[in-house]
Amino acid sequence: MDNFALKVEDLVVYLDDLIAVRGVSFVINKGERWGLVGESGAGKSLTALAIMGLLQDGWKTSGAVLHDGMNLLQASDKTLSARRGRTMSMVFQDPTTALNPVAKVGKQITWILRHHMHVTQKDAYEQSLVLLNKMNLPRPESIMDSYPHQLSGGQRQRIMIAMALACYPELIIADEPTTALDVTVQKQVLRLLDAAVTERNCGLLLITHDLPVIAAMCENVAVMYGGRIVETGKISDVFTNPRHPYTKGLLASQPTLDNIDLDGGTRLPSIRGSVPPLYAMPDGCAFAERCDFATQKCKELPELDNQIQQVACWNPVAEARKGA
Amino acid sequence: MSEKLQSVKNSLKRPRKKSRLPLIVGASITLVMVIIGVISMFWIPQDVNVSDPSIRMLPIGTPHHLFGTDFLGRDVTSMLMTGVRTSVIIGASAAFLSLFIGTLFGMLAASISKLDEPIMRTADIFMAMPGIIFALVLASTIGAGYVTTIFALTSFFTPAFVRVTRASSMRVLSEDYISVARLYGRSRLFITIRHVLPNVSSILIVQFTIYFAAGVLSEAGLSFLGVGINRPSVSLGMMLHEAVEQIGITDPLGVWPGLGIVILVIGLNLLGDGLRDYFDPRFSQRVR
Amino acid sequence: MGRFILRRLAFFAITLLTTSVLIFTLIRAAGGNVAAILLGKNSSAEEIHKLSTELGLERPLPVQYFEWMGNFLHGNLGQAFRSKQLASHLIWSQAPVSVPLSLGGLILAIIIAIPLGTFAAKNFNRPSGAFVAVLSQIGIAVPVFWAGLLLSLVFGVHLHLLPTGGWVPWSENFVGALRSLALPVFTLGIVMASTLTRYTRTAILDVMNEDFVRTARASGMSRRVALIKVGLRNASLPLVTVLGLLAAEMVGGTVIIEKVYSLPGISRMILDNVTAREVVVVQSTVMVIVVYVMTINLIIDLAYGLLDPRIRVGK
Repeated sequence: MDNFALKVEDLVVYLDDLIAVRGVSFVINKGERWGLVGESGAGKSLTALAIMGLLQDGWKTSGAVLHDGMNLLQASDKTLSARRGRTMSMVFQDPTTALNPVAKVGKQITWILRHHMHVTQKDAYEQSLVLLNKMNLPRPESIMDSYPHQLSGGQRQRIMIAMALACYPELIIADEPTTALDVTVQKQVLRLLDAAVTERNCGLLLITHDLPVIAAMCENVAVMYGGRIVETGKISDVFTNPRHPYTKGLLASQPTLDNIDLDGGTRLPSIRGSVPPLYAMPDGCAFAERCDFATQKCKELPELDNQIQQVACWNPVAEARKGA
Repeated sequence: MSEKLQSVKNSLKRPRKKSRLPLIVGASITLVMVIIGVISMFWIPQDVNVSDPSIRMLPIGTPHHLFGTDFLGRDVTSMLMTGVRTSVIIGASAAFLSLFIGTLFGMLAASISKLDEPIMRTADIFMAMPGIIFALVLASTIGAGYVTTIFALTSFFTPAFVRVTRASSMRVLSEDYISVARLYGRSRLFITIRHVLPNVSSILIVQFTIYFAAGVLSEAGLSFLGVGINRPSVSLGMMLHEAVEQIGITDPLGVWPGLGIVILVIGLNLLGDGLRDYFDPRFSQRVR
Repeated sequence: MGRFILRRLAFFAITLLTTSVLIFTLIRAAGGNVAAILLGKNSSAEEIHKLSTELGLERPLPVQYFEWMGNFLHGNLGQAFRSKQLASHLIWSQAPVSVPLSLGGLILAIIIAIPLGTFAAKNFNRPSGAFVAVLSQIGIAVPVFWAGLLLSLVFGVHLHLLPTGGWVPWSENFVGALRSLALPVFTLGIVMASTLTRYTRTAILDVMNEDFVRTARASGMSRRVALIKVGLRNASLPLVTVLGLLAAEMVGGTVIIEKVYSLPGISRMILDNVTAREVVVVQSTVMVIVVYVMTINLIIDLAYGLLDPRIRVGK
């Protein structure tokens, strides 16, 4: 049996002549919490949807997504749907629209258990109650009997997580699971995800643009820009010693209590310019236009190097400083 | 560069451009019909009410009578041209009046909350009524004709415009920049004319073409029943009425007016669909 | 749900009241001097006045309105001036034609349109789906009477399968009545189905792009299962609203189709009585039709409430 939960090899996702994900590779081992960060439009969500086989009509993929002993990109919708919710599951960003508004919560959770685990309705109901209990949802019976619109956003997101965990999947993909929630609820939801990974030894792919969330949750991280991974490695390395100028800029533009000058006067540093649109993506390094260290060499596409903390940059931060 | 990326790049196809065909076909059909209508105002081959028993029921393709003559020897070509004019005038007038009144009340409902309930409930009431029955009664009591037909159609089209205008205006009014404009001290009237109207106009134009088509169909239906347009005026629905009453359904005289209505309505509907795609690419956007 | 039902019922009552005033005003104000028309051209002013008084038409309009409405609510729909026939009797005798025709058309439209619209949505990027979409587009543009003429030309005149018009009462020959209704119902059904197919297609396409359909698929439903289990159920909500609009179209279609197939239904009765200036009969008949349409609308509204838990259970 593989000891990885997910292996992505050279994944390319495109629609007609727009390439949104341009060759992404990574491995998530079982029990590993793996973070994917980047601005919106960097290709994070499309990567996740491509793994699940849930891309919208018209989007095409190339490369390989290995999971549960097969290449998911070549599997039929039927084969995939037997995996979805069973060996891999996904938590979406907006819990207000992610649940079927006309079905009771109980029906939506028990369906998964009955469909994948072939248990009786009674057993499915019991197991659902246990799951909801674990999600710290008070009075699970009444929640099972509620429609989504009767519950709060935090409750709904916990239900989404319960649904994702129901069949003990090997891989959980969480796409911005806390972005739509209040700060106080965010922490609870993250703790639940964290505990689930520890308890079940499954792989977690956590997608967010929120660096502190990644820092608190994950062991490893990949930074995405312009449809490619530009830097990847251990959280401690990447976040303390960023090698890619983009990672560095991203970290510098995070508001922390240290660099907020309460008396005013100083401004939060930001990265100049904006992400190039898909149709104007340069052939070389996508970040070159916004990069202070860009050289002629950056017209060519840099690949990830072979260091432990991999970076795809012709002038990584340490060297660039030396030269400057 | 990764091999996969390179091979994908080599295989890329240019996206199929969203077809403008419906817009072009729809606009062309509508334009041709309008032109036929305009021409008929100044020139038609023969007076539509002059009958000549000696040339009854001439077949299609007869010289001087391209579409033949009817059971009284009247020229079908002239009647068809006049009928198209009637359809266009009544459909466009009913749609335009509904657009005007509907936009006014829809915006009032959206921007003045006190008026919202009364206006919308009135619209609901009108919407729930079987329009054709009223048109029937109206036509028989105050007399059939252009004005009655347009009045009847306008009464039953207006609520739809009120609803659409209100819904889209509300959406605009809930935008942040409207709140800013309010804080800035802009008057309701200014906000409505400057911000709301331009934002809802495209939806209303589409709605206009759809109800133009509906007006053409309804007028034809009323005239077919004998309570819409009557002699000495001519309408496509009335021609069918005459054909069925006088010579039965088997005669080709029953084909041309019907075909005329179908072509005009398809043209208008295509135009409406085309305009919707043109104004709001979100409906057909490649990346949703 | 209780509040929702109360609201709908209140709206039902208010609409009927408003409509009745409208009908009354329209028919009376625009109808000219009823007595004069009843008596014909050669009548003297004296005779007209006498008849008017006799018929109670000289009294103030509000008095007449309340009398008519009061009687109507008690089930007394009035009677014809000339023949003294009861309006309720006249209406009742048309119902066996008009009610099966209108309801049959509506049901047939639903039976055709829902599967066809679903098919078109499912195959929206294939030629087969596009074909259905084009077909419904053309169907929408065909006037209902012309469709009737063409169908009776094909099935009646050329194929001799069904009668092209006329009516055999149910009591006389049940099969004959069915046969004379077959083409009218079919015509009304396919014309309304065109509109409904288009709405169904749009509603399903919209729903299938919703987040919750993606969630359903992420939890293991195949495309097909998600469409049937989640898509159709949610798409039914906007469609129910459309059915309400179709109910009004249904009445219009029925009136025209009765004319095409020369059926002795409600439309002929209204036309005859309007021409004869039998104002009370016309008022009551129109009112009955409005009640019929409004009742269908009310049932649809309540069904919507049942289908949508956001209305049924509230927060």
